[in-house]
Amino acid sequence: MYRYDEFDAAFVSARTAQFSDQVRRRLSGELNEDQFRPLRLMNGLYLQLHAYMLRIAVPYGTLSSRQMRMLAHIARTYDRGYGHFTTRQNIQFNWPKLRDIPKILEELASVEMHAIQTSGNCIRNVTTDQFAGAAADEIIDPRPIAEIMRQWSSLHPEFTYLPRKFKIALTGSPNDRAAIKFHDIGLMAATNGAGDIGWQVYVGGGLGRTPMIGKLINGYVPNEHLLAYLESILRVYNRYGRRDNKYKARIKILVHEEGLETIKGQVEEEFAQVRGGVLTLPQTELDRISSYFAPPAFATQSVLSLDVAKEKILDPAYGRFLDRNLFAHRQPGYASLTVSLKPIGGAPGDATDAQMDAVADIAERYSFDELRVTHEQNLVLPHVALSDVRAVYDALVTVELADANAGQITDMIACPGLDFCALANARSIPIAQEISRRFAAPERQKQIGDLKIKISGCINACGHHHVGHIGILGVEKKGTELYQITLGGDATENAAVGKILGPGFVAEEVPDVIEKLVETYIANRQGTDEPFIAAFRRLGEAPFKEALYGNA
Amino acid sequence: MAHLEILTGNELTSGATVYLDANGNWVEDINAARLFGAADAEAKEAAMAATKKTLRILSLDAETVTVVDGRIVADRIRERIRAEGPTAPVFERQHLDEDSHVSI
Repeated sequence: MYRYDEFDAAFVSARTAQFSDQVRRRLSGELNEDQFRPLRLMNGLYLQLHAYMLRIAVPYGTLSSRQMRMLAHIARTYDRGYGHFTTRQNIQFNWPKLRDIPKILEELASVEMHAIQTSGNCIRNVTTDQFAGAAADEIIDPRPIAEIMRQWSSLHPEFTYLPRKFKIALTGSPNDRAAIKFHDIGLMAATNGAGDIGWQVYVGGGLGRTPMIGKLINGYVPNEHLLAYLESILRVYNRYGRRDNKYKARIKILVHEEGLETIKGQVEEEFAQVRGGVLTLPQTELDRISSYFAPPAFATQSVLSLDVAKEKILDPAYGRFLDRNLFAHRQPGYASLTVSLKPIGGAPGDATDAQMDAVADIAERYSFDELRVTHEQNLVLPHVALSDVRAVYDALVTVELADANAGQITDMIACPGLDFCALANARSIPIAQEISRRFAAPERQKQIGDLKIKISGCINACGHHHVGHIGILGVEKKGTELYQITLGGDATENAAVGKILGPGFVAEEVPDVIEKLVETYIANRQGTDEPFIAAFRRLGEAPFKEALYGNA
Repeated sequence: MAHLEILTGNELTSGATVYLDANGNWVEDINAARLFGAADAEAKEAAMAATKKTLRILSLDAETVTVVDGRIVADRIRERIRAEGPTAPVFERQHLDEDSHVSI
């Protein structure tokens, strides 16, 4: 993992001291809220419905055990004993007190963490594949480039007041697990004719009230010029992005209104100016950063596969865990394990301090001290020897983190919704909980297979509903929470935005609605190996619409 | 039905949801909130102005309410959740610290 150098440590420390003083001045009345609000937002401190909320950055979703233990400590000491992992691979605490924030930031800095740029119109936390550096299907580990982008974008003086927030995601695998086409900039590893690895660059993707799929602006940018190319895009956006209308200020609107070719021309013009300048990335620096992400000291393993069929007979729950929560590792004898934060009836993405401590201990002992946060609000132990999987599973069972539902119907994304969020129009978590309870039976989940449900409590789409195979959007209509259903969304390399099926439903109806959609899928699929999203693409919306609304 | 409003906001140090009561104190209990009728517009504006001067109440706003069986019920779902705390997972609402009581 990357370790802060002197510059990183100094700037985080300076920023912590600066914000601590700003908090002091706010508490003493030297600053009023109009003056303080932009300062606290730059440091990840929001005011939500019931209390402040502090959002802490987890760069590209990577955590050490020490850092996870610190998050547990903060949850226990300054909050209410839990944290909420988010779709930006970050963590949020929902109940901190303003006077505790300086101490929290100081404690975070001691483990090389902070809350800078987790809010505001700046470049937000760069996200990537949760299996980065471990996945068997990866052509390059994206974390060194992600770290370089973190350094480039942190406190970048030119991009602190962009027209609107700016999100970047990248994947080193052709199988996109980072939703890169729904980011302001998405990067996918690519190879040129000479066999060198660089990046395909997508621009103008996003969710929110105007969902758009990112457009390919450059098919191959070499590593050494990537920062210059990103800087060129940001400059064009900073110059021409709309500042007159908050709802039209994201780069996706600029690209849509001006056209890809126009933007591409402007970016190329800028790129011609900055290419080869100070942003050129020397191979020595890339090598230096990459050394932090060198593969751990994998041992030669005698166990190279697990007999899942046999384990299913001996211990069905463990068998299901092997079936669903293991991901193929590039190192023989190892696997990546998804630790589901979607217990039946739970709040998606929440983990208690005791669970965080336990996962940190497990990672230290069995996963080379490494953890990941996924954009689907789960955790990952990236490097577990197959011979240790049973021990890890048993340890997860003791802290109720062994749900074997990765990628299944109960593994939902849900935003905090109207239970916490000041922007929400409707509740999300209770909807997720009811669906989870309805489909709790493992046999039922297995029968349904891969299915992604994503729930947002407002049009800002923090719950990624547009890209759910089944998306649920909460709205308020005449004082009642209503839920609109979208179908066919897909956050992967086969990116698609879901289509609204028809009028919304009240909360109590939603589990039945999902049941009808699932039954329609099962009745019409060509076999159990045709997943929901494939069946939907073949069938179209008609049978699903009919199931919900009849022929009328 | 009479048009009734209350004043609500979040207290600076705790972030807790609070309501202005009839004695000019910002308190946790929505049922202690002062009710402003249509004829009380001037008093409401004065209370808001006095509150802003304290610098201690954030997101200050007026919310419409209905009195049901002697209890004050916010008209918007959002405000009912603010008054009670999250419904899922259920958590007790945020409380004021001992030194965070605000009066106008």
